[in-house]
Amino acid sequence: MAQITNIVRLSYRDYSHEWRMSGCFVLALSSVLAPMMILFGLKFGIVSTMVNELVENPVNREIRPIGSGRYNDAWIDAYRNRADVEFIVPKTRALAATIQLKSETAKRILSTELMATAAGDPLLVGMASVPRDYNQVVLSQSAASKLNVESGDQIDGSLSRQFQGKRERVHLPLQVIDIAAATVTTRNVAYVNLDLLIASELFKDGREVSDLGWEGNSEDSMERVYPSFRLYARSIHDVEKLVADLEKEGARVKANVSEITTVKSIDQNLSIIYWIIACVGAIGFSFSLGASLWANVDRKRRELSVLRLVGFKSGRIVLFPVLQSCYTAVLGWLLAVLVYLAFEYLINFFLAPRLNLDRALCFLLTEHFLWALALTMVVAIFAALVGGVRAARIEPSDGLREL
Amino acid sequence: MTVVYSLKNAVKERLIDGVGFRLLVPEIQISAQENIALIGHSGCGKSTLLDMLALILRPDNCAEFNLHPVDGDSHDVGGLWQRDKQSKLSQIRKQHIGYVMQSGGLLPYLTVRENIELPRKLLKLPDDDSINSISRVLGIDRQLDKLPGLLSAGERQRAAFARALSHRPSILIADEPTSALDPVTAQKIMAVVMEVIRGLKITLITASHDWAHVYKMELRTLKQEAEAVDDGKVYQSRFTD
Repeated sequence: MAQITNIVRLSYRDYSHEWRMSGCFVLALSSVLAPMMILFGLKFGIVSTMVNELVENPVNREIRPIGSGRYNDAWIDAYRNRADVEFIVPKTRALAATIQLKSETAKRILSTELMATAAGDPLLVGMASVPRDYNQVVLSQSAASKLNVESGDQIDGSLSRQFQGKRERVHLPLQVIDIAAATVTTRNVAYVNLDLLIASELFKDGREVSDLGWEGNSEDSMERVYPSFRLYARSIHDVEKLVADLEKEGARVKANVSEITTVKSIDQNLSIIYWIIACVGAIGFSFSLGASLWANVDRKRRELSVLRLVGFKSGRIVLFPVLQSCYTAVLGWLLAVLVYLAFEYLINFFLAPRLNLDRALCFLLTEHFLWALALTMVVAIFAALVGGVRAARIEPSDGLREL
Repeated sequence: MTVVYSLKNAVKERLIDGVGFRLLVPEIQISAQENIALIGHSGCGKSTLLDMLALILRPDNCAEFNLHPVDGDSHDVGGLWQRDKQSKLSQIRKQHIGYVMQSGGLLPYLTVRENIELPRKLLKLPDDDSINSISRVLGIDRQLDKLPGLLSAGERQRAAFARALSHRPSILIADEPTSALDPVTAQKIMAVVMEVIRGLKITLITASHDWAHVYKMELRTLKQEAEAVDDGKVYQSRFTD
């Protein structure tokens, strides 16, 4: 133990005594590591985000039915429970899925498409809540703009029908609980609870909706059947199988298969390119760091021989260059992180606005920094161990003769 | 008088610049408190033999290589080398042998005091006044807190002697310790060192190519003979009593 304590002390004393040389090793290490981190930061910031956006874009994962079908609740539930389905919600008949909306601050009544939504709807990701009853609505950006309303405002929704020779209209107070992002759709859409869509369809069919006090013919107890649905696969990789399964069941559907193929191809090619660059970079970095640390151990051979002469055991001697390599690795990594952070700031501050990007162009996660440290330490310790063992195995006499 | 070193038919071969070199020691015995000088020209194998005696160079062959320090057990050094017992050899070396190199070999990143203290620390010897007293005797007590790089060549050699003697070894091995110094300084240093060695009853084995200097110090010399063998391909050097 005393020998180990002494070796730690001596290795630090030597390292700080030769601060110029140590500084050069630290600079050499960081000059190799920092560009790698910036490269990875750019890859992670631009490529990953863009590819992820393409891969995860709900539009690319949507499977759209063509024409009308007959889908009951059991069928919808069966698909909802599949692992490869992220979201499914039934659609009622298109003609019955419109509502007239009026706000106090807009002059005109807006005829708006009704679309069912529920928790987990990929189109409304990031929203605090989804419509949970008849009186809540999420408006598309276009509808909200035309109605001149914001989240929290009250609006009036009305439905009309021709019933027993007379024109009837019912009104429903609606609270705007959120506004969908402009990227979701450019149409006038009101995202509502499925119950409101069903109520609208019943009303237009001349049936009563007892929950809302809308009169009409009594509803028979026939099983509810939907003509269509809105379905999103878990990822673009699941789309092909889902389409096949749906078609096997007789459903005619359409998906962005060609776009998906393109996106998958871009993803694969970019990943291959990145990994080639990363592997070449990591190998170059390992060789460069290993070579410089090995050279340092060779330079220290004489002093290591003196330490053996005064009584340090060979095994302990190996610790000397290993510890010094660890100092270099940690300091070099720290400097590289600082250089990276400075460049990350410059890139994101000056370059991202020029490219009209609303996200960071270059960034790394904490775990990426820790991986870089781990890689640096492993390479540093390995290089020093190889050099150190070699130095410890030569007879002290040979090392001393060089003094 | 106790025999400290006993060597028989010890051989060490090396290839130097493409030419074979063989050191042969048919038989030598060194007794306790003897002061021995290996005399010969450069390249005759003085340092090789010293390194073997200091247990830092493995002999290629030896019929007998025993070390019996006056303050410890007897050791079959030849057997330890054969069994590659490096740790044991290191233990014997740090306990019983002090070594002074031609260039001093002080660690440049430690102060003179820390250099001198190092062997004592490794042996976990108590911090007493021995560092100060040996430094005073060798005339470097004012340089203890300086780095070796700030010392003159003579002071560095004195510090090297202090480090080699700080843990009170029973054997001191010095490889041409004054060859880099001017004759006056060399003589002064060796006079002081000889006084310390006699006072501490240490066995001294040194190498030198300066005959006159050795004779002045009244050291027993080992004879060196050289010949070309194996059709002139090998330069063979023999050290005998």
